[in-house]
Amino acid sequence: MLSRRQFLAVSSALIAFPQAARAADWDATLAAAKGQTVYFNAWAGSDTINAYIQWAAGEVKSRFGFAVEHVKITDTAEVVKRVRDEVAAGKQDGSVDLVWINGENFRAMKEGQLLFGPFAESLPNAAYVDVEGKPTTRQDFSERVEGLESPWGMAQLTFFADGAKVTTPPLSLTELAAFAKAHPGRVSYPAPPDFHGTTFLKQALHDFTADPGALYQPAEGPAAEKLAADMFAGFLDGFHASCWRGGKQFPKSQADLTQMVADGEIDIGITFNPNEPANLVAAGRLPATAVAWQFAKGTIGNTHFVAIPANARAKAAAQVFADFLLSPEAQARKADIKIWGDPTVLALGKLHADAQKLFTATAAPGSVSAAGPAVLEPHASWVPLIEKAWLARYGNG
Amino acid sequence: MGPVQGSRFLAALPALLLLPGLLAASLLLLLSGFATASGFADFFAHPQFWGALGLTLFTGLASTALSLVLALAAVSDTGRNLARLAGASLAIPHLSFALAFGFLIMPSGELARIIAVLFTGWPQPPDWVTTQDPHGLALTAALVLKETPFLIWIFTSLMNREDLQTQFSGQMRVARSLGHGPASAFLRVVMPQLLARSLWPLVAVLTYGLTVVDMALVIGPSSPPTLASIIWRDINDGELVTNARGDAGVLVLAGLVAAILLLLVMLFLVSTPLLRRLLAASPRRGAGLQRLGHFVLAPWPLLYGAAGVTLALQSLAGLWPFPHLLPDHLSLTAWRTLMGSGSAIVTSLVLAFSTAGLALVCAVAWFESQPKPRDRLLLWPATLMLCLPSLVIALGQYRLFLQLDLAGTAVGLFLAHMLPVMAYVFGLLVQPYRSYDRRWQASAAGLGAERFRFLRQVKWPMLKAPLASAFAVGFAVSMAQYAPAQLAAAGRFTTLPLDAVTLSSGGNRALTAAYGIALAAAPLVIFLLAGRWGQGRWRAR
Repeated sequence: MLSRRQFLAVSSALIAFPQAARAADWDATLAAAKGQTVYFNAWAGSDTINAYIQWAAGEVKSRFGFAVEHVKITDTAEVVKRVRDEVAAGKQDGSVDLVWINGENFRAMKEGQLLFGPFAESLPNAAYVDVEGKPTTRQDFSERVEGLESPWGMAQLTFFADGAKVTTPPLSLTELAAFAKAHPGRVSYPAPPDFHGTTFLKQALHDFTADPGALYQPAEGPAAEKLAADMFAGFLDGFHASCWRGGKQFPKSQADLTQMVADGEIDIGITFNPNEPANLVAAGRLPATAVAWQFAKGTIGNTHFVAIPANARAKAAAQVFADFLLSPEAQARKADIKIWGDPTVLALGKLHADAQKLFTATAAPGSVSAAGPAVLEPHASWVPLIEKAWLARYGNG
Repeated sequence: MGPVQGSRFLAALPALLLLPGLLAASLLLLLSGFATASGFADFFAHPQFWGALGLTLFTGLASTALSLVLALAAVSDTGRNLARLAGASLAIPHLSFALAFGFLIMPSGELARIIAVLFTGWPQPPDWVTTQDPHGLALTAALVLKETPFLIWIFTSLMNREDLQTQFSGQMRVARSLGHGPASAFLRVVMPQLLARSLWPLVAVLTYGLTVVDMALVIGPSSPPTLASIIWRDINDGELVTNARGDAGVLVLAGLVAAILLLLVMLFLVSTPLLRRLLAASPRRGAGLQRLGHFVLAPWPLLYGAAGVTLALQSLAGLWPFPHLLPDHLSLTAWRTLMGSGSAIVTSLVLAFSTAGLALVCAVAWFESQPKPRDRLLLWPATLMLCLPSLVIALGQYRLFLQLDLAGTAVGLFLAHMLPVMAYVFGLLVQPYRSYDRRWQASAAGLGAERFRFLRQVKWPMLKAPLASAFAVGFAVSMAQYAPAQLAAAGRFTTLPLDAVTLSSGGNRALTAAYGIALAAAPLVIFLLAGRWGQGRWRAR
C-alpha cells in the first residue's frame, strides 16, 4: 500500500503540466528573477569552491540579470538555525534565498516545514538528472527529496594516500586493518561525531553486518545496539590497537586528517569528494604521486543539493540559479578537476552530443584509480545510535 | 529630575544601553525556550562528560595559575618596559598562535624535523604525543604562552600610570631601605596592590581558559575533548535535541565558572592572614623571583618570533612533507585569496576603530557621571559576557535584532561588535579609573581649574596608559568577532574574521596562516602604538 507521501508524489506526477504550460511558467520565473539578489548560503572552506561560485554568479548576472551573493558559512546547521529563528519570528523576507544542503540538515528543514517547493523537478535542466543511475538524487539519506531540493553534485567515500608510500591500496576494511597492522600508528579516521568519522563507522557497520538490510530500517531497541556492539568487538577494537596514538586519540576533522597525510604523519586520508585528492594535487597540497580509491564492494555515497527556504525573498532568481547550476555547462565546469572536481549529477547519455563533449574527464594525478559502487546511506536513526555507542566505548581514551 | 541629574543620566545612558541593556535583551530572548530539563539530563549523561570536566578544570586552572606566576615574575624584573613586547604578543590571535605553536611541537612539526635532519634521520614523524596529549598539557602550554603577555600588559599599564608610579616608587624605596632586595620589595609591596587592581583581567583569563574553543580544537585532545568543545559541537548541530543538550551545557559551564570564581574568592579570604604573615616576613633579596622573571623573558621573543616565522612560511607553503625543513613549493595563492577580501578588511577596520572609540567614550562618560557603587550595573554584565560562549550571546542578539528588524543591517553589525568590546573596555578601565587619587582633583580645584580642564589637562594624561591599553584591547576584541558577524549580519556584510573562520574550516593551512597574519597585523600596530604612547617612566631602581 502507498504511504500518504508516496501517494502525493505519484498523483502530482500523473497530473503533470503539459510541456507548453511549463515553458510559459518558466518564462514567468525568468522575468520575475530579473533584478533580484540571491543570497546563496554555502560552506566556504575551500577557495576553489568559492571561486567556482563566483564564476557562476558572474554568468547568471550577465545571462539572466540577477545578482548572487555568496554568504560564507562554516556549517550548514547555522543556516538551518537562522531560518528556523526567522520563521519563528514571523519574518517573511528571510535572509537566505538558497542553501547548499543535504542529509541531516535537509531532514531538519523538511520536518520543520522550512522549505519552499516542490520546485526542483520542474526546473528545465532537471530532465537531464541521472535519477535512474544515481538514486541518491531522489533519496537524500533516508529522506525522500520530493522536489524540495535540487541536486548539485555527487559524493562517495573515497580513500587516498601517497602512492610512493602505499603501493597496494587496501580495497576493503579488512585490508585496511591489515595495512594498519603492518604500519602501526599510520592510519586513523576523524573522531565521530565529525561527519566523515561517522560515515566511516557507517561503512564499517555496513561491511561487518551479516544482514545490511537492517541498516535501512529505523535503528531501534537492543537488536540495533547489539549490531553496533558486534561491529565494535569484531572490527574496531582490533583496528584501533594499530591506529594513530593507539586509537586513544583521533584527528578532529577530515581537514585535520588530510593535513596529516600531507605532512607525512598519517598514510591514508578519507574524503567524500572522489576528486578532492586530484584537486589537492593540482593545488600543490598533495604530492603528484597521490592515489585515490574506493572499496571493491562499494563505499557509502550520497548527493548534495541546493534548497530554497520557505521565507526566501528571491525565490524566482533562486530557482533560475539552481537551474543554471544544473546546466551541462556548469556541471561540466564543476566536474573539471582543475576547477573543483565535484562529480556531476547528470546522466551524460541524456545530453545532446555537444553538451556531452563538455565533459572531458581525463584521469589526472590523484584521480580515483579503483572505483567501487555507491552504497546507500543507512537510515538516519543509525547516526545518533552509533555516535553515542562509539563515544561511550572509545570517547575517553 | 534637575538639569544636573538629567545630564548625568544622559552621560550614563549609552553605556547602560550598550552593555547591560543589549545583553539583557539578548539573553531574555534566548532563554525563552532555552535549556530544557531533558537537555540537562542529556548533557550530564554525555559519555564524555566526566572526562571532559576533569580536562577543563585542569587546563583552565593550571594555565591561569601558571600565567599569573610567570607574569608577576616578569614584571618583577623591573628594569625593562615590557609593554611593547607584551603588546606584540597580544596582537596574534589565539587561533593563529595555537596553529603556529602546534606546528613547532607536533610530531611532524618543525622541531621534530630539525632533530630528524640533524641527528636521527627519521624517515617519518616520531611517535611523540606533543599535541592532542590526553592530559591537555599542550593546550595548557599554549594558553600560558598566550595569557602571560595579556597579564604582563595589564600589570605594566598599571605600573605605568603616573599616580601609581609615584606611589610604587616611594613604597619600593621604603622597602629597599628596610633591607629588601628589589624583587622581594616588589613581591611584598607592589604585587598585592597590582593583584587587587587586576581582579577583572584575572577573571577574564580564568574564564577564557575554562571556556576556550578554538585553541582546544587545534591543540587539545579529542578523547575526551574539553567541555567547551563538546558544547560548541552541540550548539552547532542541526538537530534540535543536540542543540538542547548544548544549550544546557552552556548554562552548566557558566555555572561552573561562577562556582570556581566564588571558591577562589573564599579561598583568598581564608588565606589572607597567611599571606599577610608571608608579606611581613624578614627581608630577603628575593632573587629567585627575578631569576624566574629572566627565565620567562629570555625564550619569549624567540618563541613568538618562531611562531611568526612559522605562520609566514605556512602562508607561502604548498606541500611541505616531513622531514623537509622548508616547504617544497612556495606560492602566493593564499595571499592572492586574502587580497580578494579587501572590502572585508576595510569593514573590520572601520568597525574596530569605531567600536573601540565609542566604548572608550561611553565608559569615561559613565565614570565621570556615576558614583562608584553603580559600577556593578556594568561590571556584572561585563563579567557575564566573558562566561558565556560568544555563539550563545550572538544567537540571542540575533533573535533580538530580528524583532527590531536590525538583522542584516549595518546598525545590527555595529551593535553586535559593540557589546563584547564594551565589556572588555569597561572591565579593563574600571579599576584604573576608579582608583585614581581624588586628591589630584582637589588640588586642581584649589588652583581654580574647572572640571573639564582638569580632566583634559591632568586626569586623562595621567591615565593615558590604561586608556590606551583599553582601546587597544577593545580594538583587538572587535577584530576577532566571528559569531556576531555571522549571525547579526546574516551574510550581508563580510568581515575579516568571518572570511578567516569560514576558510579555515576547509583546513587549508596556507590560507589559515595568511588570514592569521592579516588578523594580527592591525591590532599589532595598535598595541605597539598604545604601548609607546602610554609608556611611563616606571623605574624602581
